Amino acid sequence: MKRFLALALLLAACSQKRPIVVGSKNFTESVILGEMVAQKLESAGCTVDRRLNMGGTFVCDSAMTSGALDTYVEYSGTALEAILKQPKADVAAAYAKRGLHWGPPLGFNNTFAMIVRRDDAQRIPLQSISDLGKVAAQFRPGFGYEFVERPDGWNGLLAAYGITFATPPKTMDLGLTYKALASNEVDLIAGNSTDGLIESLGLIALADDRHYFPRYDAAVVYRDDIDKKCKGASKALESLRGKLDDAAMRRLNFEVDGKKRDVAVVAHDALGR
Amino acid sequence: MTAEILRVTGEHMLIVAIAVGVAIVIGIPLGIYCTRNPRAGRVALRVIDAIQTIPSLALFGFLIPVPFIGGIGMRTAIVALILYSLLPIVRNTFVGIRGVDPVVRDAGVALGLTTRQLLFDVELPLAMPSIVAGIRIATVIGIGVATIAAAVGGGGLGTFIFRGVAMVDTRLILAGALPAAALALIADVVLSAVERKMIKG
Amino acid sequence: MSSSIELRGIEVDAILRGISLRIEAGESVAFVGRSGAGKTTSLRLINGLVKPTRGEVLIDDVPLARTDLVALRRRSGYIIQGSGLFPHRTVYDNVATVPRLLGWDEARIKSAAHEVMSRIAMPLERFGARYPRSLSGGEQQRVGIARAMVANPSMLLCDEPFGALDPIVRRELQETFRELRSDATIVFVTHDLVEAMRVAQRVVLFDDGRIVSDTPSVDFPKQQLPLVRQFVAAASLPS
Repeated sequence: MKRFLALALLLAACSQKRPIVVGSKNFTESVILGEMVAQKLESAGCTVDRRLNMGGTFVCDSAMTSGALDTYVEYSGTALEAILKQPKADVAAAYAKRGLHWGPPLGFNNTFAMIVRRDDAQRIPLQSISDLGKVAAQFRPGFGYEFVERPDGWNGLLAAYGITFATPPKTMDLGLTYKALASNEVDLIAGNSTDGLIESLGLIALADDRHYFPRYDAAVVYRDDIDKKCKGASKALESLRGKLDDAAMRRLNFEVDGKKRDVAVVAHDALGR
Repeated sequence: MTAEILRVTGEHMLIVAIAVGVAIVIGIPLGIYCTRNPRAGRVALRVIDAIQTIPSLALFGFLIPVPFIGGIGMRTAIVALILYSLLPIVRNTFVGIRGVDPVVRDAGVALGLTTRQLLFDVELPLAMPSIVAGIRIATVIGIGVATIAAAVGGGGLGTFIFRGVAMVDTRLILAGALPAAALALIADVVLSAVERKMIKG
Repeated sequence: MSSSIELRGIEVDAILRGISLRIEAGESVAFVGRSGAGKTTSLRLINGLVKPTRGEVLIDDVPLARTDLVALRRRSGYIIQGSGLFPHRTVYDNVATVPRLLGWDEARIKSAAHEVMSRIAMPLERFGARYPRSLSGGEQQRVGIARAMVANPSMLLCDEPFGALDPIVRRELQETFRELRSDATIVFVTHDLVEAMRVAQRVVLFDDGRIVSDTPSVDFPKQQLPLVRQFVAAASLPS
């Protein structure tokens, strides 16, 4: 009996797959998606090392190319505009050249949403981003560090809409921007169209009437050599195709941000559905 | 970008200047109080010591939901920095005054100086090198800690550092870090010179 | 103008156990005794630096409890071991301390300082602008004496003022002190019997918180008390 056990343990140790490192950016949606990816891989029998809430786009991307990360969820617009800096390219082909697989779209588009307080929107009134021209002299913008620096971010927006703001934007941790807007420290923030808190905080997203923002279709990105770490990893990730639509993602975000439920539990429920 | 660097450098100096200024106004009297009331003084010093042990980012974070003094912006950063600057200033005031030669203090009382005269004509002048050292330490540390202000929308040179980290762009990080280091160095040199001039006897 | 000093039934917790003493205006008295006998404490009762747990102190027959201590201290001179000069002030500013507290005008202060500094053989012109740290121990103590005496105090309280100095300097300062011929009432604490007999007309011996002997200086060594014998022997006085 003892020998049997020893052998079984030895076999298990030999076939121990090296852990797959799953990353995510540092905002709620990314963390939920990262957790879903991790749980999916685990249910396929892989060992997973979670590095969620890591940093922004560029932190994740450099980690991918250096091999420190094996997979995370990225958005098409971000990949084209910010990472590849080739807005018109074929994102899958471009990524293949970097040794990365631009994998299955999850099924929703999370574009940037320029968000203001509801009573400001009703009072001025503000319906579209062009309307911001009316308040460019008084409104105080506040953004996370990425939006302010990215070419497809703030400066690109101002150029596309021909608006100049009097006050330079305040920068802060991305997660704080909603709070800042709600408590009147800033008047305009760049949120995500799938954010859970927009309605609950009395905020409203402005329409992108000049279609400045591209589509940001969420997709799982993984290294070409991921199956070497765990057989069946890529198959597991491919099965996430079309798992969530816009409404579903918004609901999941609200479960965590609004109802304060645990990310792991929310992710588990989403996969099970 | 140069204009922006100058602007945030100005913000940075403003945050530190206001914070250290307020810490001086609160801290020196508090230090004096601690020398007069040993028991209450020990408690006060222990509380201020404890504040110092809170990691800076955590302290900024704690202050965000506090009404009036908190929130997101420069005010929170200044309040956090005031709390951090208190220890070096209070402690150095306390140590400086206690360090006055007891014979000198005794002579002062015996000659007929009132408590107030003793404080302003003897104890404080002799404690000045120590007090200025405390201010110097608070300022140099403050310049470093103030870089965290950017995390809570407080502006300052941390803005570039955080942006650089998000973008994995060394240039941006340096745009924030180098001026901050320069400010700290200048503050240290200038205040050390002031400290030296204060040493008399 | 000098003051009379009286200690009546004084007790100070754990140090003095029943002291009564009267010093007339203009007298010069030495408090002697071993370390811890209570002589310094008794001295410090006189200007209120120490408060008695029982008994009272009277200056010019007025109880200390009903006196403005700060004003009293400005009328007395206090000289301590180590001089206690303010290190951040010049010699002149140190000497000018009490006159300034008394509101004298600068001209009067200057002339009084000039006078007292010449009496301690440290002319104001040469020493006025210097800082205490640039003076020797003996010079510092001279300035200490000047500072105590410049405003013509009615009492001079001296707490082992020459204790930290070498024997030669000590001797010089004892002479200087004697020659100053202040008409203040002098109370001089010392453990050096020879010094006591040199500077004072009357010697009060403290032992273990009590006064065990109170005689004119010349009569002190003649007493048969064992403690007196010990002191005399230790001071190598001819018996």
